[in-house]
Amino acid sequence: MKLRLTLLATLSATAAAVLGACSSMPDHNAALDQARSRYELAQANPQVQSLAADELKRADLALRVAQQALSDGQPLANVDHLAYLTDQRVTIAQDTASSRASEAVVKGAAAERDQLRLAQRTREVDNAQRKLGDAQQSNALKSAELQVAERTNAQKSADLQVAEQANARKSAELAEADAAAQRAQAQVARRDARVSDLEMQLQDMNLRKTERGIVVTLGDVLFDSGRAQLLPDAGRNMDKLAAVFRRDPARRATIEGYTDSVGDAGANVELSGRRASAVMGALVSLGVAPDHLSTRAHGEAMPTASNATAAGRQLNRRVEIVFVPQGDELSMK
Amino acid sequence: MNTLHSTRTTSTTLRLALACIAAAGLAACASAPVPNEQLAVAEAAVQRANSTATHELAAVQLQRASGKLASAREAMGSKDYERARRLAEQAEADALVAESHAMSARSRLAAQESQDAARVLREELARKAPL
Repeated sequence: MKLRLTLLATLSATAAAVLGACSSMPDHNAALDQARSRYELAQANPQVQSLAADELKRADLALRVAQQALSDGQPLANVDHLAYLTDQRVTIAQDTASSRASEAVVKGAAAERDQLRLAQRTREVDNAQRKLGDAQQSNALKSAELQVAERTNAQKSADLQVAEQANARKSAELAEADAAAQRAQAQVARRDARVSDLEMQLQDMNLRKTERGIVVTLGDVLFDSGRAQLLPDAGRNMDKLAAVFRRDPARRATIEGYTDSVGDAGANVELSGRRASAVMGALVSLGVAPDHLSTRAHGEAMPTASNATAAGRQLNRRVEIVFVPQGDELSMK
Repeated sequence: MNTLHSTRTTSTTLRLALACIAAAGLAACASAPVPNEQLAVAEAAVQRANSTATHELAAVQLQRASGKLASAREAMGSKDYERARRLAEQAEADALVAESHAMSARSRLAAQESQDAARVLREELARKAPL
């Protein structure tokens, strides 16, 4: 029994010694060192820290086990094995962190897409509403324009009526103007008839139309030179003139005397006056109303030709009967 | 006392026994329990990791895990249980690495794709509505 006990004690001591011999290992292990430094690198990475905390913890645990094995002096193969496991745990932690970071990116991108689509839809709705608003505004505007157009139409109708009335008035005025024109034409015809009548009556006499009226010139053949006594030859001309007054008793005439420039101017005025009076006397004696006649003495003024020649002087010696134009004759001329 | 004496008398026997014990101790040092559990875990891990995605994105890691699992089985066959246990444990770790590697690669691709999609959408919207 005692022997067995001693044997047992010896045995255990030997076993311990054998085990001690087994664990006679170096303090460092290259594989473990590498695994540790990789773990430390991962552990210092905030992304791995925050996104793969559990995986990092398992790597840490594996590292501790490996280090314990090393300090326990476990066989190299075992420490290498544990270092390998640690290394793989570190790799898993890093991969996991990377996966989760990528998933976050996916989520972010999806969120961005959703936001973009939402923004797009919001824009589309806004656009649609704006278009609707524009359309409504446009409609309102068109309604207003329609109203304005209707008012304008009404106004135009009114204007048209006014214009028609104006037209009717104008037609009436035109008719009136036509009538007036016809009247005027009739007047002209009458005046022309009268003028031509006068012309007919005074045929063969020296007659010209002036602004003052119809002028009949009696040459100096009626008088002896320097005298105011009508010659008998003048009688036929006087009859013709008197006949004019007989046919148109309302006629008025001015009898104007002229001389040439021979002799005293004052005497010439006096002579021309006497000759005019002689003609007037002759006409009155033939029945012309004296208050329809008047005389004027011009003397040597207003010559009709040059006084330098005998022929000119003869033309200047004259008596002119100026028939005062009657109302319509003057106005129409 | 008696005992001591008897010990001394049996010193040769003792030395012999000691040598035997030392040999047994050394054998104990190298031997280990049969790692059935570790092998099962490793097999499950490798099987789980053996997906199409892992084949495509972490072929090297997956092959390493499979290779170690095969080696573990081999070690089991030759009753080298310690080696079988380590290989099984490494095979499991390798399978996990293959999985995490494939997942991170896939996520990276997905991130790239979704960023591209967002960029395309942004550009399209910007073209559609430049205001």
